[in-house]
Amino acid sequence: MIRIAEQGGIGVITLHRPDVRNALTPGMLEELAAQTAEVGARSRCLVLAGEGRVFCAGFDLALCRESPDGAVMRALLTGLDAAVRAMRACPCPVVAACRGAAIAGGCALVAGADFAVADRAAKLGYPVVLLGVSPAVSGPTLAPRVGAGPARARMLDPGLISGEEAARIGLVTDLVEEPGAVLPAAMALAVELGRKGPHALAATKRWLGALDGTGTGEGAGGAAGGNVGPDGLRVSLGLAGGVEEAELLEKFWSRRG
Amino acid sequence: MSLATLEVHDAVARLTLRRPEQRNALSVDLITALRERVAELAKLGGSAPAPRVLILEGEGRAFCAGMDLKAVLGDPAMAPRLLGGLAELTLELRALPMVAIAKVTGAAIGGGCGLTCVCDISLTHDDAKVGFPEVDLSVCPAVVAPWVVRKVGAGRARQILLRGGLLSGAEGAALGLMDRSLPTHDALHEAVEDLAARIAAGGRLALAATKRLLNQLDGSDDADIVRHGATLSAQVVASAEAQAALRARFGDG
Repeated sequence: MIRIAEQGGIGVITLHRPDVRNALTPGMLEELAAQTAEVGARSRCLVLAGEGRVFCAGFDLALCRESPDGAVMRALLTGLDAAVRAMRACPCPVVAACRGAAIAGGCALVAGADFAVADRAAKLGYPVVLLGVSPAVSGPTLAPRVGAGPARARMLDPGLISGEEAARIGLVTDLVEEPGAVLPAAMALAVELGRKGPHALAATKRWLGALDGTGTGEGAGGAAGGNVGPDGLRVSLGLAGGVEEAELLEKFWSRRG
Repeated sequence: MSLATLEVHDAVARLTLRRPEQRNALSVDLITALRERVAELAKLGGSAPAPRVLILEGEGRAFCAGMDLKAVLGDPAMAPRLLGGLAELTLELRALPMVAIAKVTGAAIGGGCGLTCVCDISLTHDDAKVGFPEVDLSVCPAVVAPWVVRKVGAGRARQILLRGGLLSGAEGAALGLMDRSLPTHDALHEAVEDLAARIAAGGRLALAATKRLLNQLDGSDDADIVRHGATLSAQVVASAEAQAALRARFGDG
């Protein structure tokens, strides 16, 4: 469910479950984290894409339904956190090719990337509070990415925003008109970034991580954080398997009939 | 004439980079001269009637073409001096009580663009060149990164610094790297003078107190992080990758 392609120093990791809009399973996230670390270490730039018309619809909630004790939800949250950490720890830049939609966990992957290309009409956001789930796990990368004000709005308002609006707040860095142009634009950006000095890029990315608290390596001065949001994950995990979540998930399924 | 001159007229001070034949590239000597002038301003700052506004500008075609990287080729002691000096200059400039306006004519590149981020407000013109091409030269903009993060936020800083290259003044303004871009040089000149006059009408203590608070809120007083940036940047400059890229750019001479 994760496919890898490598050419000319550019690694492309593709979420490959197009029949369910690339909905994430614990196994996919584990594989994503592992491949990001492995392929990222030997690439000059990494592209994260989704097969088909939609980048990623978020967690596979059908799996959660089969696990009322919250074990699957905890595995998904922990896996998402690990994947985002791997993207930040990856020495080369990571470009998300956000075609069509990046919802909840998918949006967290976009926020975890260094760059995000999206089409103007793409849908992005975190509608998960409607399910009793907290998007806090994404907060540590989302907040520095868009600023505290927009992060608050995006994580508390379950509505989705367009690619255009996401570009305005800085969640999307490169906007294209048509969905079909997203992957080509992401590849072109990856080639452009791949031409920079890899050592200088890695040092700059590491230093930016130290400055905004999303780094995993050497910290520095007052900005020493060295971790991508252990607190965000803990907040999200704290609700997994709870009564509210169970009720709202059940409501979600009953609405779907 | 000194490489950096200071003129004070009533409430407005002007600090001018004067190395026009090198497009005001930041050499050790230019940085030293700027630090001396900033120290003079700091002394003035405590006494009434001190200037309330500082306009930072460059003589000639470019505001500042960036660090004088030619000087660091083949002299391993030069990079720490140059980058360490830049780090101290940014800290001292930020700590001034007067409101600093960067008047960006022509180009503000690398360390030069970093200086505009240290100023409180930056104005430019649409066809100026601004930005941080450090990674294109295999060097790391670590000294200026904290100031870029404070200016545009961490997300846009990541985008701008990892992407490298240059932006037009208009594009820089769209990203928040510049506060305003004017269509022409003349319009820029007029806008800077208007802005300086408007700010200078404010209370000296009110402006200084507000700037001091903003510096505390965004961590500008954290000297360690900027100094650590100088160490990191010097390490990257010393790498084989950077030395090769700089030789290719500037030749062996």
